[in-house]
Amino acid sequence: MKKLFANHGRELSALLAIAVMFVIFSLIDPIYYSGDNIRDIVEHATIYGLMGLGVTGIIISGAIDLSVGPALAFIAVVVARQAVSGVQPVYCVIIGIMIGFAMGLFNGFLVNHMRLQPFIATMGTMSVFRGMAYLYTQAVPVIGVPRSYRLLVDGELFPFIRSSIIIFLGFALILHVLLKYTCFGNHVYAIGGNEEAARLSGVKVKYTRTMIYAIGMIGTALAAIVQLGKLGTGDPTTGIGYELEAIAAAAIGGTSMAGGRGTVLGTVLGAILFSCLKVGLIVSGVDTFWQYVATGMVIVVSAYIEVLQARLSAVPGGRREGKAAH
Amino acid sequence: MSEPMISFHGLIKHFPGQTALDDVSFDVAPGEIHALLGENGAGKSTLLNVFHGVLPLTSGEMLIQGKKVEFHHTKEALDYGIVKVHQEINLVPEMTVWENLFLGMESRRFGFLRKQAMIAAAGGYLAQLQCGFRPNDRAGALNVGEKQMLQIARALLINAKIISFDEPTSSLSACETATLFKIIRGLKAGGITILYISHKLDEVFELCDRATVLRDGKYINTFNVVDIDRPILIKSMVGRDVALFATRHRPSRTEMDKPVLRVENLASDANGFRSISFTLHRGEILGFFGLVGAKRTDVMRAIFGADCVSAGQLLLHGRRLVNRHPSQGVKNGIALIPENRKEQGFAANLTNADNIAMASLAKYLRGPFVSHRRKDANARRRGEMVRLNPNDPAFPTRNLSGGNAQKVVIAKWLSTEAEVMILDEPTKGIDVAAKAEIYALMEDMVEKGKSIIMVSSELPELIGMSDRIVVMRDGEIAATVDKNEFAEQKLLTYAVEGTAT
Repeated sequence: MKKLFANHGRELSALLAIAVMFVIFSLIDPIYYSGDNIRDIVEHATIYGLMGLGVTGIIISGAIDLSVGPALAFIAVVVARQAVSGVQPVYCVIIGIMIGFAMGLFNGFLVNHMRLQPFIATMGTMSVFRGMAYLYTQAVPVIGVPRSYRLLVDGELFPFIRSSIIIFLGFALILHVLLKYTCFGNHVYAIGGNEEAARLSGVKVKYTRTMIYAIGMIGTALAAIVQLGKLGTGDPTTGIGYELEAIAAAAIGGTSMAGGRGTVLGTVLGAILFSCLKVGLIVSGVDTFWQYVATGMVIVVSAYIEVLQARLSAVPGGRREGKAAH
Repeated sequence: MSEPMISFHGLIKHFPGQTALDDVSFDVAPGEIHALLGENGAGKSTLLNVFHGVLPLTSGEMLIQGKKVEFHHTKEALDYGIVKVHQEINLVPEMTVWENLFLGMESRRFGFLRKQAMIAAAGGYLAQLQCGFRPNDRAGALNVGEKQMLQIARALLINAKIISFDEPTSSLSACETATLFKIIRGLKAGGITILYISHKLDEVFELCDRATVLRDGKYINTFNVVDIDRPILIKSMVGRDVALFATRHRPSRTEMDKPVLRVENLASDANGFRSISFTLHRGEILGFFGLVGAKRTDVMRAIFGADCVSAGQLLLHGRRLVNRHPSQGVKNGIALIPENRKEQGFAANLTNADNIAMASLAKYLRGPFVSHRRKDANARRRGEMVRLNPNDPAFPTRNLSGGNAQKVVIAKWLSTEAEVMILDEPTKGIDVAAKAEIYALMEDMVEKGKSIIMVSSELPELIGMSDRIVVMRDGEIAATVDKNEFAEQKLLTYAVEGTAT
């Protein structure tokens, strides 16, 4: 039990926070635990969660991707146009994933081969992707996505279980296995932990980090595909600020911005926590503007919890210095 | 004896689950150079941290010139004229020398910096310390020794009464060390009291007046350095007879008829070495000696494949190696245990198991997936081989002492079953007992038929451990010396002058 807490402290505290939040909001307004509302929470969590998962891998490798919001918009409009023009829904999904992969490769190329700083490189592509979304649509939303497509990506398979949730959890599972149980994933952690040590251990740093950018962007592609199914419209203005929500979901879930640490489960819980809060605030009738403040506070508080936990779990600073200094 | 400069009375410092200082009391006389000795974790650094106000005391008191002091912050100690010259040097590399010198103590008039006055003053201090760099140089361009001088200049600037040094020579060349000692003696002549932490006993005998030994947080004794010899000091430091000197306890394993790695005319324009040729045999420990700047590390990185070469070739078992990327070095069975383990050896954020598995992940696959059970089992097994403490796969490597972190790096390379192990300053900055363990490990490795290249700046260690020693000077091999001809004087001469006189 103690070991469980030591290894999964962040996940457990996120779970606890979700439970507490759920109880409080339900007391404020019983509507909160109605079926419709829970579905709302999950739907919100799906979009941020998919994007957050992709970003998690990139952050673990010691980098960042700011371009996922506009990337979502671009992928959504392209897929929407395909779907509207009659391409089979399955092919639409595959096209979306491939475009996402290519966009991720491009980010990875900039960061790893042209050696740009991840922050700057993806800030640049953030603007590029947004521009591409506008150019592709001339700023006119793509409407009329066929029902067949929407059923495929967001249809209710069983009561309460939509295919979008399967997509979310499926991607989470694949990413989890990839990060924890393959050489590639272990290398991602190693690079984020110490790039030079990893390189000198024979890890192919450029390849690994380029690939994690590409794989990460698949998360955003799936988010775009799902969102398109939910809305039925490919809107080039969508996804504004989503990169921050995605990064926040990862951060709340315990992904270290310094790299080398983070889990898929943490980000999934982080996304759910985030969406519990947002929906809760809406249900309890809190002013929209306060919602921004509240979500911001959650990020700050969770970051502080991370600091506290690091302090508690680590050997006291002085001894560490004293020992490591020699 | 006159009133002591510093008196420590019953210092106690508890950390959760550990007592770092346990009733430590001793005096430091004014104007002396006082060594603090002890193994890792003996409490030297904690004592300094308490003294400089970095850590609060649990109980006990400190007196400076008979007056009780209590520091809650480094600044308060600084105001008392107590300055620490750091082991890891804190400078703003983008700023100039004079800006660093005056950082936080800028001279101002009407709110504006008095730039010219500060530059002139900086020049004065640098001249006093006989530094070869100028106030307007960029601090980042200085070498380690020069950065240290800059810190000492800062101490002079604030009229320090007490200066403490924590392993000041660990990154210095012999020549820089000599300069530093001259400066320290000058400081002493100027009436400044010096606290000096070092692992190198030679330095203590050369430089210090008295030495206080700590062990496991307890005060052991204070010696007049002239009255004692090395064995006495070592015995009180380790509390048991550990053979300090690196010696081979088992016969040499070299099989001269079995060359493993042949290096032929290796050269690199970018890294400044040329015509490097030597042969490493099975079971051999080949020492590499040279002064700082001899390019030994660069040669090793090139052999491993971390850097490119411009000419020459490597033959492993007669097969020509073209290694352009470390991954090929790893595949070919070459291991590099780097000099800067913190920057290049391990990832602080990861656990022991992850660090140990970093170079050999493919071994723990079951099907396409990494088996964590196998990974942990390997970490535990290798940890036992290198006597890692604590040998816990889930333990975060950042919390290990220097010696144990080095063992993690060695365990990482043992996991690859590499045939050629390149150890670059393997015992740098680790305590006596851990050094002895590393030497024993090296003997284990050659017994198993591995070959070792050991780069070191510590001659006693090289002489004790090597079968042959290659001496480098200025990017070239000055000499290759056989075991029966090892002599400190001779090796040093090669390293300094290139030829024996």
